[in-house]
Amino acid sequence: MTDWFTTLKNAKKTCIQQGNLRKVHFALPNAKEMVEEYNMDTGVVTRRAWKLKKEIGGEGDWFIEVGDPDPTVLKTDTLIKENSTQPFISRRITKKHLEWRIRNLPYPVDVYSVQVDNEKNVLIVRTNNKKYYKILNVPELERLNLPLQQTNVQFTHKFNTLIITYEKPIMLMDFEKTLFEEIRSLKARKDTEMDCKPS
Amino acid sequence: MAVAAAAKVQEVREITRIERIGAHSHIRGLGLDDSLEARHVSQGMVGQVAARRAAGIVLQMVRDGRIAGRAVLLAGQPGTGKTAIATGLAHALGYDTPFTSMAGSEIYSLEMSKTEALTQAIRKSIGVRIKEESEIIEGEVVEVQIERPATGVGTKVGKLILKSTDMETVYDLGGKMIDSILKEKVQSGDVITIDKATGKISRLGRSFTRARDYDATGQQTRFVQCPEGELQKRKEVVHTVTLHEIDVINSRTHGFLALFSGDTGEIKPEVREQINGKVAEWREEGKAEIIPGVLFIDEVHMLDIECFSYLNRALENEMSPIVIMATNRGITRIRGTNYHSPHGIPLDLLDRMIIVPTVPYDEKELKEILSIRCEEEDVQLEDKALEILTKICTETSLRYAIQLITTSGLIARKRKAPEVGIEDVKKAYMLFYDESRSIQYLTDYQKQFMFDQGDETVASMDTS
Repeated sequence: MTDWFTTLKNAKKTCIQQGNLRKVHFALPNAKEMVEEYNMDTGVVTRRAWKLKKEIGGEGDWFIEVGDPDPTVLKTDTLIKENSTQPFISRRITKKHLEWRIRNLPYPVDVYSVQVDNEKNVLIVRTNNKKYYKILNVPELERLNLPLQQTNVQFTHKFNTLIITYEKPIMLMDFEKTLFEEIRSLKARKDTEMDCKPS
Repeated sequence: MAVAAAAKVQEVREITRIERIGAHSHIRGLGLDDSLEARHVSQGMVGQVAARRAAGIVLQMVRDGRIAGRAVLLAGQPGTGKTAIATGLAHALGYDTPFTSMAGSEIYSLEMSKTEALTQAIRKSIGVRIKEESEIIEGEVVEVQIERPATGVGTKVGKLILKSTDMETVYDLGGKMIDSILKEKVQSGDVITIDKATGKISRLGRSFTRARDYDATGQQTRFVQCPEGELQKRKEVVHTVTLHEIDVINSRTHGFLALFSGDTGEIKPEVREQINGKVAEWREEGKAEIIPGVLFIDEVHMLDIECFSYLNRALENEMSPIVIMATNRGITRIRGTNYHSPHGIPLDLLDRMIIVPTVPYDEKELKEILSIRCEEEDVQLEDKALEILTKICTETSLRYAIQLITTSGLIARKRKAPEVGIEDVKKAYMLFYDESRSIQYLTDYQKQFMFDQGDETVASMDTS
């Protein structure tokens, strides 16, 4: 199948089961690490995270690609961060759609425009009052080398939240289906099992 | 009218808080011209022409960056500008070249061994310039809000609003960031970039839209376009970290293991070895560049024999920086032994060093230094008073005379005089004793002091 599928297939996978959630850790080439969390009832990825590595060493953070972002611990040495009233993005994947939710966006729906940039293969969110601008990558499609199509994009605005949905192309759905079969066949350890007996 | 008021407000803001003045804060460089010849009075440096030329050659050596592990000794009497030359060298190197300054007695600590302290100092003086992807915020400042809590205590709260042509975002600032914003004097209308990981602020210029704010702008004001698109970008930036910083990042224990680590501040040799290997690898791949810097050890006679023999060995390493030491001792005991040696430094180490002597200043130079200090300390001196002060300087010491500047300045202010006169200097001279008068006083009135041994000679103090 695709390159990405073979990479995932050959990666060293560790898997645990927690209720109906199955968490898989992929150790990829070039010392990359990725974790996915599947809902075994629906077969949909609920979370996906990448380990960020720094060149000069040290413990990197996790970048949450899909799912709710980790609660940010207030570090004392925080230099600069967005105010809590500022827009932030969380991603979700459903059976048929890729979704972005941009919260804390109070402007009415006719302010926004979401366009596909075919050159860079990204979505661009604009506001005509010049208050918000965001380039959204679509890593799922990037990994499979699929182009974006404007006709698949839709968005609504509700409760201060802009919801952008992108209809999954057939190729992506097929890929996810085969990958899920692979995940289902993995031997999972129960969350309660441990290597050692704690006293 | 309103415009005038706004301008007034602006003016008040432009005034920076008075910086604290240190003993060497008047020094801004080595005062050399392009051919590394020392100008007589320049960048706060006066006289000491030969020593400054020598420092200029050391500077060239550091800039070339090819020669590692050289040691330079600045030797001279107290108050002949040894530390000043080192400070000037640090300024001349610029901020990208690591310069570590320490005093010889700093290595004695209960927390870590002497050699560990020296190793850390050496590794702090070697920079690695490396390319890394970093989150950069680039935008035009709309507003800076910095508020102190009403009670006066507690942390300051800061907000920064930045915009690009397409968006606007409010950022919260941490304490360190507030300080650097104040230091950089960031104002609305400036176009700045902030490195999100390190907090480094660089000002690109002022936005074109603000070009008409003032009739007069400084010559160096640069006008730039307001950035486009997203405020936060991932960009490849080059930054310099020291080997010690890489050591620290990689030696921290993570996760639950951190519970069991008794953090002593010492770094394991294995970690260092691993990092040396990694850095060599990066250099081979062209990813990183090594910038050997300067380690300055003041009062080097306070190091003991173990440190000296450690330095002997450490200087031979190809990754070692240029070490500059300063001492004001003559032939004296090497600490930790009973042997005597010039400058209190073993001969084998002395043999590896190039020695730069500093000589006492002559009267003209002293006068020049005093007037520079007067300017730095914001004290106006009458010509006569300056002459008197110079005379005091030749008879006592430069440091004592410098102490008299602010004190006599305060005395003059008491009588509401705009300039310090001879009387004020005299008064200060009477109020505060210099070293020789203090000794004289003690010998005269010795008997009335506590624990006096009568005529017995005072046991010589052990200073080594």
